[in-house]
Amino acid sequence: MIYVDNAATTKLSSSVLDKVLPFMADEYGNPSSLYSIGVKAKRAIDVARNQIAIAIGASPNEILFTSGGSESNNWVFQSIKDCYHNQPLHIITTEIEHHSVLNICHELSKNGVEITFIPVNRNGQVSPVAIENALKPHTRLVSVMFANNEIGAIQPILEIGNILKERQVLFHTDAVQAVGHLPLNVSNLNINFLTASAHKFNGIMGVGFLFKRANIKFQPLILGGSQEQNNRAGTENVPGIVAMGHALEESMSILDTEYQRLRKMTELTIEGLKSKISGIRVNGCSDRLPGLINIGFDGILGESLMHMLDLKGICVSTSAACTAGENKISHVLRAIGLSEECARASIRISFGRYNTFEEVEMIVNAICSAYAKIKGISHQII
Amino acid sequence: MSKKNCYVCNKQGLSRKEIGLTKKLLDENATRFYCIDCLAEYLEVDKEFLLDKIEEFKEQGCTMF
Repeated sequence: MIYVDNAATTKLSSSVLDKVLPFMADEYGNPSSLYSIGVKAKRAIDVARNQIAIAIGASPNEILFTSGGSESNNWVFQSIKDCYHNQPLHIITTEIEHHSVLNICHELSKNGVEITFIPVNRNGQVSPVAIENALKPHTRLVSVMFANNEIGAIQPILEIGNILKERQVLFHTDAVQAVGHLPLNVSNLNINFLTASAHKFNGIMGVGFLFKRANIKFQPLILGGSQEQNNRAGTENVPGIVAMGHALEESMSILDTEYQRLRKMTELTIEGLKSKISGIRVNGCSDRLPGLINIGFDGILGESLMHMLDLKGICVSTSAACTAGENKISHVLRAIGLSEECARASIRISFGRYNTFEEVEMIVNAICSAYAKIKGISHQII
Repeated sequence: MSKKNCYVCNKQGLSRKEIGLTKKLLDENATRFYCIDCLAEYLEVDKEFLLDKIEEFKEQGCTMF
């Protein structure tokens, strides 16, 4: 199998697995317990919290463990709503956010919260000026993803952060695709909240974190025990948290070399495909995640190509798929101005740590072959 | 709806699954269809593999099958 859908999830690092296994076997204490095995679990969580804080330039007490990106995103919005209960509340976000942001926004809007969705340009990037122009006296939160999950477009987070700091508006970024893959420091970027998910950087599914800057008023999403400094109740996912700490530390230690390597892989893929298939287009811009490319083809469905590649053991993603009888078209591809036909003719390839340059050539050849089969033409004449 | 025949071997009266698989893998607006054996040969995969895929598509809620 060749797995090139690392924007969906990543393979657990083998060295991280070694570090986690004891916590899934003998070291199974509850971190809230006061005897040795519990204390060990608590210490392991503290180590992870520290590893993560160092990785993003935060303080350990600013890291809150969650079940992943969707919970972290929902938490920020729910908390803001609770903190400004019975007061005018305006939130700004973009049209290309993950559904865990878009859907909580739609839900809040049903309850009287004013939401502004800022469009993006053809590159998939939001304008800081557009954000600034949309600010109102009662704007309390702006949420802009760090890098888009479908086209990889990196957003002008620094510029937006500078504007919002001056205007004293809280800034949240969904950095699920960026953490562990792009250089990122919350202090330099004037970010108040940051969302991350462990399984996007070779950790385990079902665990993530929320960076919440110290001294910001915040409400719990889950009530119960006093875990996470009274912010999030529930026994901690110790193996997941331990894995996340080590996985992020590992990712940061190889970030520069991985960035260059993945960038080269995407360049070679684009070059290879363009040399063999006419009408190829890259959706989005060059300022994108190093390992991610969203490619459009002429006259075929991305879903067909995805299934054809699956038959050959290659895992890619499509931005439009027929599930449960519905044709779901990517809101991101539509937001950058693609027609429904073009959006449906696209696939996403996202390289990760375990992909090799040999696989790039195999992927290009497999795509060319599948494209020819779908078009019903000879591989030699495409 | 008129019965469809295999574009390659002319097998008569292709099943809903065979028609659905051609549409799913090659072209949702296909006008020529393959029986399961000819499609497996065309795509260079085992017939059993395609049958497994049909079950996967059904589980995903695809209504073509």
